[in-house]
Amino acid sequence: MSIQSICRCIYILAFSAAMVFGASPVFAQADTATIDTTEHVVKKPDSAGHQLCLGFDIVSPVRNSFYTDRFSYEAEADYYLHNEFYLAAEAGWGGSKVDYPDLKYTTTNTFFRAGFNKTILTRESKTDWDMMFFGLRVAYTQVDRSAATFTIIDSMWGNTQGTRSGRNFGVVWAELTGGMRVQLLRSLFAGWNLRGKFLMNGKSFKQDAPLYIAGFGKGDKSAVFDFNLYISYAIRWGRKKF
Amino acid sequence: MIKVSKYFPAFLLLPALAFWVSCSQQRQLCLTPKTASLTMEMMHKANDTTTLFTDTALPSAVFIPLTDNPAKRNAFVYTRGSSFAVSLSPDTTMCMWLFATDTVSYQSKTIDTITFYYARQLQFLSNACGYTYFYTLDSVHTSHLMIDSLHIINTSVTNNVNTKHLQVYIHPGF
Repeated sequence: MSIQSICRCIYILAFSAAMVFGASPVFAQADTATIDTTEHVVKKPDSAGHQLCLGFDIVSPVRNSFYTDRFSYEAEADYYLHNEFYLAAEAGWGGSKVDYPDLKYTTTNTFFRAGFNKTILTRESKTDWDMMFFGLRVAYTQVDRSAATFTIIDSMWGNTQGTRSGRNFGVVWAELTGGMRVQLLRSLFAGWNLRGKFLMNGKSFKQDAPLYIAGFGKGDKSAVFDFNLYISYAIRWGRKKF
Repeated sequence: MIKVSKYFPAFLLLPALAFWVSCSQQRQLCLTPKTASLTMEMMHKANDTTTLFTDTALPSAVFIPLTDNPAKRNAFVYTRGSSFAVSLSPDTTMCMWLFATDTVSYQSKTIDTITFYYARQLQFLSNACGYTYFYTLDSVHTSHLMIDSLHIINTSVTNNVNTKHLQVYIHPGF
C-alpha cells in the first residue's frame, strides 16, 4: 500500500464528509452596513437519543454454500450521531481456495471498513428508525496468499511447472454504498446495502491478484459491485422526552 | 408489539436481483492470448541495385519447431503471408525453428535454421488464464541459405499479437 493510495482514500472521505456536513443552510448577507439582517437559527434539538446498531450479514453464509472456492463472514455496527448521520464500521474475514488444473493456491484475509451513512428519509417520529441511506467507506485488509503452483500448458514445446512463493500484501479500497433498513421489531432491523467498490492500490499486487478478497470481491478487478443483507439489533439510550 | 415498517415492500424489492447479480460463475473464461508469440515480418530487396525493401508475401512458407520430442516437430505451412507468428519454448532460454520460403525449397532441403536466445519473465495474466511466460529477446541467429539477414525491431515478446518483433530479409535472388 503506497502513501499515495492512503492520501487518496483520506481525500475522498474528507471530501464526502464535507459535502454532507456542508449541506446545512448557508445565509448570504445582503448589506450588513445598512440593514440588520441578523437571524437566529433555532436549532431543533435532536430528540432521537443515541442508538448503536449491531448486525451481521446473512447473505455471506448463503453465498458460501453456493461457492466451493471462497467464503466470507461479515458484521457491521453503526452509531447514530445527529442530523440523521451515522458512523459506520464493518469487519469480517474470509478466504479462497484456487484448485484449477493449471493454478493452485489459497488466500485468507480479515478486513475492516469505516465511514458514514446519511439518511435521506424524513423521520416521522422520534421512534422511527427506518432509513434509506447513502454512505461512503474506506476499507483495508491484509491478504495472506500461499505459494502458488502453476502449470503453463504448451502443446508444442511441452508443459512447464513452477511455484511462485507466497506473500502478504495490503489492499485498500473505497466504497460508495446505498440501501435501506427497516424495523421488524422494536429493536430488530433488516437492511440491505448495494456497494460499488473501487480498488486503490491494485497495481501493487497485480502479479499476485487473488481470486477473491473477502470484503472486496474479485481480486483481479479494479471495480466491483456487491450486496449485503444485514439483520441488526439496536441498543438505545438517552432519548429526550418533550 | 410487532411493528412492521411501511417501507417493508420497498425493502424486498431489490435484494433478490442484487443477489443474482453479485453471484457469478466459478471460473471465468480466459479471453486473452495465453501464449506469447514472436511475429516475424518478411522483407525482400526489390532488385539487386536498390536498397529499397518491401514486404514479401511468401507463397507457402514452412516453419518447423525443433522440439525435444521429435513427434511434435510438425510443419506449419502458411500460404501467401508476409507476417508469421512463432512461439518460444517456455522451458528453456533458447529454441530453434526451421524455415523454408516455400514447399519446393523445403522438399529440396533448402531449409534455414533460426535460433532465438531470450530471457523469460513469469507473468500472471489473471485467475481465469493463469500464468505464462513473457520473453526478452537477447539475440537471433540464422543460417543463410534463403535468409540474408535478420533485424530485431522489438525485444519484448508478450501476448500482444499486434507487435512485430523481427524483420527477416530474404536473399535478393529469391
